[in-house]
Amino acid sequence: MKKTIRRGYLVNTAVLVAVYILCVVLANVFSEVSNFKLILTPSIWQCCYLIILAASLNLVLGFMGQLSLGHCGFMAIGAYTAALISLAFQRAGVYDEKSGIVFVLILFLCVICAGVLAAMFGVLVGIPALRLKGDYLAIITLGFGLIIVNVINNLPFAGQNGLAEGVASSSLYQNGLGFGTTAKVTYLWVALAVTIICVALMFMFIRSKYGRAVRAIRDDEIAASAAGINTGYYKVLTFAFSAFFAGIAGALYACSNSTLSTASFSFTNGSILNSTFVVVMVVLGGMGSLTGSIVSAVIMFVLNYQIANGSWVSSLPGFIQGVFTYPMLVYAIVLVIIIMFRPKGIFGTYEFSLLRTPGEFVRWIKGLGGKKKAKPEGKEAAAQ
Amino acid sequence: MKKKLLALLLALCMVFVLAACGSETDSDAETSGGDSGEASGDTIKIGMIGPQTGSNAAYGTSMLEGLQMTIDEINEAGGILGRQVELIATDDRGDATEAQNAFNNLISQGVTLIIGSATSGATSALTNLANEEGVVLITPSATADDITTEDDYVFRACFKDTLQGSIAAAYVEQAGITRVGTIACSADPYSSGLVNAFISACQERGIEVVEQQSTATMDAQDFTNQFTAMASADVDLVYAIYYYNAVGPFLVTQARAAGYDGIIMGADGYDGALDYVSEGADYSAFNDVIYTNHYDPSDTSAAVQDYVTAYSELYGTTPLCFAALASDCMMMLQTAIETAGTDEASAVRDALSDTSVTYEGVTGTFTLDESGTPIKGAAVISFAYDESVGGLDGLGTELVTTISSDEIA
Repeated sequence: MKKTIRRGYLVNTAVLVAVYILCVVLANVFSEVSNFKLILTPSIWQCCYLIILAASLNLVLGFMGQLSLGHCGFMAIGAYTAALISLAFQRAGVYDEKSGIVFVLILFLCVICAGVLAAMFGVLVGIPALRLKGDYLAIITLGFGLIIVNVINNLPFAGQNGLAEGVASSSLYQNGLGFGTTAKVTYLWVALAVTIICVALMFMFIRSKYGRAVRAIRDDEIAASAAGINTGYYKVLTFAFSAFFAGIAGALYACSNSTLSTASFSFTNGSILNSTFVVVMVVLGGMGSLTGSIVSAVIMFVLNYQIANGSWVSSLPGFIQGVFTYPMLVYAIVLVIIIMFRPKGIFGTYEFSLLRTPGEFVRWIKGLGGKKKAKPEGKEAAAQ
Repeated sequence: MKKKLLALLLALCMVFVLAACGSETDSDAETSGGDSGEASGDTIKIGMIGPQTGSNAAYGTSMLEGLQMTIDEINEAGGILGRQVELIATDDRGDATEAQNAFNNLISQGVTLIIGSATSGATSALTNLANEEGVVLITPSATADDITTEDDYVFRACFKDTLQGSIAAAYVEQAGITRVGTIACSADPYSSGLVNAFISACQERGIEVVEQQSTATMDAQDFTNQFTAMASADVDLVYAIYYYNAVGPFLVTQARAAGYDGIIMGADGYDGALDYVSEGADYSAFNDVIYTNHYDPSDTSAAVQDYVTAYSELYGTTPLCFAALASDCMMMLQTAIETAGTDEASAVRDALSDTSVTYEGVTGTFTLDESGTPIKGAAVISFAYDESVGGLDGLGTELVTTISSDEIA
């Protein structure tokens, strides 16, 4: 067993490093190609924050079994924290141009601060909220999500006269960490590195004793508490841990948008970035599968992007195009199909693993092994 | 399994039927766009970014319709510089990220002249990118002050918020009203920007702002508390800045139900609100609701009447200001391309930067200032309910007065 664990770590680390280096090299080689710069890079940035967002919600929703509908609130905290810190540093004269080692350090400081502040609010929200269960918890988290966004709106330095308005919002682009298309290519490695580290941390969390305790709470809270698990503590811990990553996703969001407005985090946001849609992503990917969340975040993003911008759309017959003019209908169809034919989501609770999956796939093809419920055993770290 | 497939089939049927009902006009516009594109190999590509879906969809569809009509007219008349114009329309759903995606996608298709987006929130995400990529961006209706700055690639066809706020204050002064209240969505640059401009203009004119209220979102559906406060503060006019989707179904009727019976004043976002009034509402509530707008469709000038006639023949409705403004954007682009003699972005930008050019559009005759914002007046329009006609048909608009840019200074 120990041997496989070590092999798992080695293989995964090696593959991740290889993928990462490949992406960074590709970014440098193709940085002048317009499609890479204009389409692929912004898409990767958006995928990165959606992946972190969906995976972090999966900790609460999938692994702990508590429905939270206010996840974008934590993302908003992270986004504004990162943006304001970067602007403060610029005003203090720590950096002038968006290059050099100082800027990179500040960038990472912003990302970490965004996570930490969001986690602090996660604790504050979690302590009262997590005493409730089921529908009541859903409602109270929904309320907290709205409250957070409204408070940010009414902070004089953030919402009302701050980043939402003209000059202030373009100052994020000119002076802060708002990246234009060129800077997005330059700092693509930051987005990738942050995403990989975050997902790895989440994997380590669910494979640790904390993760096992959290899953015990999901399966039977009373039994878990009888077995000596401090359910209240673990619930708040997981909630804060999840909020931490939502905050980091927010920081990446602030980077990838050259402007910041709380309208982006509200429930009526027409795009795929709202709290209910993150829940849809988690359900689609499979509650209790981080790799499922990653896959479904990418699927949802590609679907969303292609419906709006894909050139192949115009070659479709008219009645399908008619549906595509209402993107929400398409998401609904996808969700209906998944729920009908695979109610537990694309991955269910299965985790993709570089070591096991190819072998299992071959066995499944041969019809021998069947679809084995892959309860993650031991501490095998799975790859992204 | 059979049952499941049947259910899925039925669900798909429902979706297609729904989509077919909704998108009739859209597909018409799109097909005619395709035709003009095929007419000539060497076309001038114009990109359009606007909310075709989402909560501000009426703005985007109006923009598309107006733009399509103008481009068809230009193409019939032989195009610009002898070349046909091709429109590539995209949807931003009123969201900053989607607007950026659409923008990048247009540039990768080789478009360097872009008209959009409708709202200030989405447009503010595009202005920096337009400068970085060297793409001309003309927004028909993003009114936030700082959208255009000197020496950049961003222009617009509408007045800016400070001007619109001052126009509203000028009207309030003319009407002899001294006690006013405001309601805004603090999160939205359009709403809060306009209200702030209005408040400061009121203070200059000695009008007392007694009560200030706010809501959390632009899509708020309950204004009862805000208007109760207005009623108890005893104000004569409430300056409430929201979009049509809140004004038509909720804001006005709730204001009257909350006991507020003074004047409700709005801005260009009220345009089109009457299409969203729910059947059976108290239509007389819409009396004493006025708003400043870019143009008045009942204006008797030839430019407006020709436009309104052509538009209603084609689409069967009165054009919203967004259609007219989008058409004016196209007119500005046409003038600039003809002056520059090329459709290259930097040359077109230089032509647009010339502050001495006078544009004669549907929404008035105007010149651009150094930052690329028109200097023009506004029409003050009132909703009016005609008891003798009754029902939804009885609701209409009438021109109260026009305020020229000279009166503000």
